[in-house]
Amino acid sequence: MRNAWIAIVCVLLLDGSLCAQQPKPSEYQVKAVYLYNFGRFITWPANPDSKELKSFPICVLGQDPFGPALDTTLASESLDHKPIVIRRISKPQDSTECRILFIHSSASNQLKEILSALDHLAILTVSDMADFSKRGGMIQFVLEGEKVRFEVNLANTENANLTLSSELLKVARVVRRNDKSGD
Amino acid sequence: MAAGGLITPSLTNAQQSGQQPVESLKELSLEQLGNVEVTTASKEPEQVWKTPAAIYVLTQEDIRRSGATSIPELLRLVPGVAVARIDSDHWSVSIRGFAGQFSKSLLVLIDGRSVYTPLFAGVYWQVQDTVLEDIERIEVIRGPGGTIWGANAVNGVINIITKHSRDTQGALASATAGTLDQGIGEFRYGGGNDKGFNYRVYGKGFIRGSESHADNANFDHWRSGQLGFRTDWSPTSTDSITIQGDIYKSDDGERVAVSLYSPPSRLVLDGPHDVGGGNLLGRWNRKLDEDSDLQVQAYYDRTSRFSPQLGEIRNTFDIDLLYHVKLKNNQEISLGVGARWSPDTVLQNFDTLDFEPHQETDSIYSWFLQDQIPIVRDKLSLTVGSKFEHNNYSGFEIQPNARLLWTLTNHQTIWAAIARAVRTPSRLDQDLQLTTFLGGNLPIYLRVLGNKDFKPENLIGSEFGYRTLVAKSLYVDVSAFYNKYDDLYGYGAGTAFVETSPPPVRLILQLPLANALKGTTAGVEIAPEWEPFEWLKLKGSYSFLHLNVNNKSGFADALNTASDNGSSPHHQFELQTLFNLPKKLEIDGTVRYVSALPAQLVEAYTTADIRFGWRPSASWEFSLVGQNLLQPRHVEFGADVDTLVGIKRAGYLNITWRR
Repeated sequence: MRNAWIAIVCVLLLDGSLCAQQPKPSEYQVKAVYLYNFGRFITWPANPDSKELKSFPICVLGQDPFGPALDTTLASESLDHKPIVIRRISKPQDSTECRILFIHSSASNQLKEILSALDHLAILTVSDMADFSKRGGMIQFVLEGEKVRFEVNLANTENANLTLSSELLKVARVVRRNDKSGD
Repeated sequence: MAAGGLITPSLTNAQQSGQQPVESLKELSLEQLGNVEVTTASKEPEQVWKTPAAIYVLTQEDIRRSGATSIPELLRLVPGVAVARIDSDHWSVSIRGFAGQFSKSLLVLIDGRSVYTPLFAGVYWQVQDTVLEDIERIEVIRGPGGTIWGANAVNGVINIITKHSRDTQGALASATAGTLDQGIGEFRYGGGNDKGFNYRVYGKGFIRGSESHADNANFDHWRSGQLGFRTDWSPTSTDSITIQGDIYKSDDGERVAVSLYSPPSRLVLDGPHDVGGGNLLGRWNRKLDEDSDLQVQAYYDRTSRFSPQLGEIRNTFDIDLLYHVKLKNNQEISLGVGARWSPDTVLQNFDTLDFEPHQETDSIYSWFLQDQIPIVRDKLSLTVGSKFEHNNYSGFEIQPNARLLWTLTNHQTIWAAIARAVRTPSRLDQDLQLTTFLGGNLPIYLRVLGNKDFKPENLIGSEFGYRTLVAKSLYVDVSAFYNKYDDLYGYGAGTAFVETSPPPVRLILQLPLANALKGTTAGVEIAPEWEPFEWLKLKGSYSFLHLNVNNKSGFADALNTASDNGSSPHHQFELQTLFNLPKKLEIDGTVRYVSALPAQLVEAYTTADIRFGWRPSASWEFSLVGQNLLQPRHVEFGADVDTLVGIKRAGYLNITWRR
């Protein structure tokens, strides 16, 4: 009965505080959880230069579309037995110490330079810009209706010596394109 | 994959609102995470945003929340589409004018298979069905689409696209019981492996009651059953192969008036209409390299229908090849070739209705070329192309178009287009012989006779559109058009003579079909979408249509001019509200106004639907739907015979289970 009243009040008052009790998660909350899962289901190669990282850096290049979602989702978690740290960076050069790099679509015009700077480095590149996996990126988020799915370009992950688990491949749309030019 | 819903980068900036504890999301498996529904800034995928045409996409969420139980009822949600229910199992669906049970100039495709019937030039909507949950989206393109889609895409194209079988894994069972939709049962099961093979099978059956008839008849009570499958297989990373098929049987009914040469000269029959059919379609897509792909599609479609008046058996074979390449200078070139053969047999039941010859094979050979040229990168692009088509009725036809897309800012685009499209002659135009009793002691009959010289109807259409994201939560799509038609269907000059065979003697007034009419239509469609809160979405539309169809010089057809001018609504308003309430409750309502149709003797009406949905868990969904609530019955379109059919107020309860 109480729910019915809330429903009626919502309809009459358009009051968000009452009505937004169980809304759907936002697109970027789900994408943040995906970033965490990519960390869990992908194996990074052992670091050849002995400079072993003490943390697991997840970076956002360009504008941050996640808002607080990234911090609330990942702040207290660890991956590969290392605490996750979140870095928001503006210059591509700063990304070489990241494990996962989310590239905002506003950086679309500089994508070629960004990716060529990362060539052969074991950094998982993720974005939701159009044609990201075609243009040399590794994982591209794709919206299917209201669901967030993703596409993996295996040619690009292999190039970086990243190993994707079968659990991840099972739900991914797998594409394999040997595109060296990056454009 | 070409059709993935990618949001424009500019639309995704504002996602900070409404943060939730995400602990629960982290508990989900990858598979579950991929099935979480999320809120996004705008549902408009990039493709829509960048299409230089009046396109509207109905998503699965729109479909689920519409409460509609059939495809034509779903189309009511699309701005600029006029849907009128004639009776329980017949509709008139039209875009930008020329409404009728057989709206001749509208092309409808289901997963690339044309369901346009060349006998009557139109669509038998009552047998175009599937499990509505398995529809990925419905794309509706208003305006001429002949360059890509070919003949009969004169006023619009409706493209129904079902889900990839990867997205229909697991079981679904759904049961509906209601006042008009008396019973609907659906099941679907999907499975697959990690080697890129997925499948689904489904079944659907329903019983629907009759609408309101003055004499309490129930000829339009109907039953239907359908089974189908779809498999998708990616043997390599560059190949994907889809095979799908359906079989169906529908036992619907209709009331028809048949004339006889001897008394009783006119007979009204309430008869069953048995329709059955099936189809099998295969599609192979290969990515040749980074920038080019090739697709081959072939299908077979069989329909048989036996009405009180006439029978038709038709087999259609179709093959299409499509190649797409992006050149180094960013031009995108598409080219295609296609062929279709469609032999039919007409079974005559009465002397007064016939198609001569009884057997005919329609054939179409076509090819098209289209080039999308970026003039200023990411700002201005021009698309030019043409279809070249040969058909067995009128020979060779050319359908060119030119479209310009101007991206003003990340939040505004303008497009303009000019196109020619043709509606090629059908069996109806060339082969029909229909004789109708008019009255008199020496009985007088009207005979409409097909014309072997009937030419295609043609259109030069000019359109323009504007899309803008006014604010984060407000999206507006406006389009306007001016269409100039020539050689439209009508009656030529009549002759009168006395006919003695078969006896008895009668007077015949004979009207040959002719390309007698010409005309213009003009209109505007405005479709705003507003999401003021995460839990409330409002969608509206207003469609204005002005028609002016006249006789060409030398013709005086008052019947078809009146029908063309008076059968499509001049004004349509629609407002849809979607509420997400606590405890997984949804309340969705639609109010719509349709202006009068003088030629159909139909008055303007306003009515409303409401849906209460509840999803207590991921497996269960309940919905309670009321339809046409504002009056006990209302009329939407003239029926074939004498009296108007009232479309009833109705309600139903649905339970859906998924796992």
